Amino acid sequence: MASITLQDLNTKAEIRKKTAKPLLWIGIVSIVMFFSGWTSAVIVSKGGNGNWLNIELPFAFSLSTIIIVLSSLLFHYGLISIKKDNKKMLKLAVSLTLVLGLLFVVSQFYGWKELYSNGIVATGSSSTNASSFIYLITVFHVLHLLAGIISLIVVSVKSYKEKYNSTNFLGVEVSIIYWHFLGALWIYLFLFLKYIA
Amino acid sequence: MSTHHHHDQDFLFKYVFSQDHKMISKQFLITGFIMGFIGLIMSTLFRLQLGWPGESFWIIDKLLGSWAENGVMAPDKYLALVTMHGTIMVFFLLTAGLSGTFSNLLIPLQIGARDMASGFLNMLSFWFFFLSSVIMLISLGVEGGAASAGWTIYPPLSALPQAIPGSGLGMTLWLVAMALFIVGSLLGSLNYIVTILNLRTKGMSMTRLPLTIWAFLLTAIIGVVSFPVLLSAALLLIFDRGFGTSFYLSDIYIGGQVLEHNGGSPILFEHLFWFLGHPEVYIVLLPALGITSEIISTMTRKPIFGYRAMIGSMVAIAFLSTIVWGHHMFVTGMNPFLGAVFTFTTLLIAIPSAVKVFNYLTTLWKGNIKFSPATLFSIGLVSTFISGGLTGLILGDSALDINVHDTYFVVGHFHIVMGLSAIFGMFAGVYHWFPKLFGRMMNNKIGQLHFWITIVCAYGIFFPMHFLGLAGVPRRYYTNSEFPLFDNLLDINVLISTFAIIIAFGQLLFLYNFVFSALRGPKAPQNPWDSNSLEWTAPVEHIHGNWYGDIPEVYRWPYDYSKVDENGEYIGGKDFIPQTTPLYDNETDEAH
Ligand code: HEM
Ligand SMILES: [Cu+2]
Repeated sequence: MASITLQDLNTKAEIRKKTAKPLLWIGIVSIVMFFSGWTSAVIVSKGGNGNWLNIELPFAFSLSTIIIVLSSLLFHYGLISIKKDNKKMLKLAVSLTLVLGLLFVVSQFYGWKELYSNGIVATGSSSTNASSFIYLITVFHVLHLLAGIISLIVVSVKSYKEKYNSTNFLGVEVSIIYWHFLGALWIYLFLFLKYIA
Repeated sequence: MSTHHHHDQDFLFKYVFSQDHKMISKQFLITGFIMGFIGLIMSTLFRLQLGWPGESFWIIDKLLGSWAENGVMAPDKYLALVTMHGTIMVFFLLTAGLSGTFSNLLIPLQIGARDMASGFLNMLSFWFFFLSSVIMLISLGVEGGAASAGWTIYPPLSALPQAIPGSGLGMTLWLVAMALFIVGSLLGSLNYIVTILNLRTKGMSMTRLPLTIWAFLLTAIIGVVSFPVLLSAALLLIFDRGFGTSFYLSDIYIGGQVLEHNGGSPILFEHLFWFLGHPEVYIVLLPALGITSEIISTMTRKPIFGYRAMIGSMVAIAFLSTIVWGHHMFVTGMNPFLGAVFTFTTLLIAIPSAVKVFNYLTTLWKGNIKFSPATLFSIGLVSTFISGGLTGLILGDSALDINVHDTYFVVGHFHIVMGLSAIFGMFAGVYHWFPKLFGRMMNNKIGQLHFWITIVCAYGIFFPMHFLGLAGVPRRYYTNSEFPLFDNLLDINVLISTFAIIIAFGQLLFLYNFVFSALRGPKAPQNPWDSNSLEWTAPVEHIHGNWYGDIPEVYRWPYDYSKVDENGEYIGGKDFIPQTTPLYDNETDEAH
């Protein structure tokens, strides 16, 4: 009897097709729970003690918001293009998204710098829980974003190699779901830090 | 390439970096059992101290070395042992060991899939767990000893490295190990959920799934929702320990010196911790409930009573488990109104639990029971689920809990309802699916003996603990000899410790049976228990992809046992109809 029964690569590709997006979605659920742990912690800490400070968010964070929304729109345009087999447009859109993604990280650094120069620090005796949480939450968002950037790099390389077309764009879709999620997560965190924390 | 070299590579990918769910299942089982035995030995050692406080023991001297001068366990090392025992049992044996083994083995085989959604993530999941186990064990050997703040690692003991010896490097390693553990567990859960939802074979609708699969699905969902919160709690703790934040700390003095930490609160940690901590007990319990439902139905030759009610109550338990965490915090100065809310949600869990007990009992009732070791352990679970659940009603009620909080009453309660139930479920699962795991049968006689020793000793250990608790004996105490009021309770402790020693030896029977049968046991037949579910249609020897040729199709639910026609004759001529058998002409597929 034949020893290989996993109907070779076809089955594998089929399984991937069926499961790549659900795997990502459930991963997203766990990331959401991770951050909701911290945002609930903010609420508990704020309610629990007297020395909570309301901190003005740096202007750079507003810029970050605009950048990430733009990047999401662009990326989406790329997806629409590849569905119509417009490979050129995909290349352009993905590379611009990548550039915007990097700009987002830069704007976050500017934000932290601004906070720091206003005397708002993450740790040590002059920090407060409010200031520690701002750094912690934004830094960990950026850490998650780095995974998105890596996926953008992979997708752009593959799009330059013309690996995608109107029948094969799963990689683009997976990457875009995650990227949109990062944008939505940022908007939530931004509004939360601005109005609730 | 020489053939020899080729073989080495085969070995590496087949046994070590395997992506095959059946091999990964065995890896989880064996790693989990090794951890479990270590946890068991720890409990026996500290039971020696509790039964005969201050006495010198040869075995303690040999095993603990510098932790026990002259064979007497040092007080701080007692705390380290209790902490590591709890951590190992809850997370390593009964979360990763139990879920990891049976979700991996049974999900693809029972739903009719070639393998998990992602073999690669599945492999990673095991290796994170393995690495985490290794680090946890290494932490036993570091200076100052292992973490000693209890398995719940409450700050400030866990947050200030200088607090007690076990708050130092041991605590750091505990946190690192648990962070890896959480990542591994999340990767596993992702895979389980997606595989169940997306890769079922033709005909395998959600209401034709064995209850095992429903249990694994809900377990994984609870895991995905609650483990990340533990991770976020642990990260805050890591920052407090090493980076000068004060999330959990405020106004602290150590050795007369004021620390800089300000503005935080240890209560915050308790909220975050128990948001995982309570669901965790169901992560441990649900797989055991699923496993035993399946076994009891098969071994009584009766359809499971109330299949949909069983699913419904598991869903209800899973949901409720996320809104009851406050019952661990009744004595933290919680607003009494909030306490009443948590009491209410907690007591609600009694309803689906009672439904399950009722269904178990009605399935057993007048069944044609075949008493295999798996059946016995399953019935053992029904017993502990009842006796441990009843004391849960007392602890869930804030007014009553305040009296017994942090006493041995709690220790008795959770060992019975969670520890014993889950361990019994795990033993039942191993006895029942051993032929699927290793292609051989375990010894029935030794298994029966193992069961009787285990259940008698288990009640002998944990039942008397309730009386200690009612008398006020606090948990996590090295000795109570300073309190004359407890002097007359020493006999109870001697009794408990005696049972603890016997149960530990009793497990050697299992170990022997397991190892010997895996190597030398009689070869397993295709379907040793005349079971309906799909895994028994797969070849006994493990093959990549699970079935030769096409994946079997499914036409019915898995519980058509002893199904008769109008004349009282078995439909199909036997007392079971596998899921792969199409409906007979004279038969209706009762919409179960
Ligand atoms: C025969 C086996 C076992 C014995 C004799 C035993 C005994 C004990 C005792 C006496 C304590 C309390 C020590 C103290 O508070 O000073 C304890 C704590 C604990 N045990 Fe066990 N146990 C056993 C098996 C298990 C199992 C199967 C589980 C799995 C859930 C488990 C989980 C725990 C936990 C979570 C704690 C609390 C640790 C802490 O206080 O941080 N034990 N055990
Ligand atoms: Cu609880």
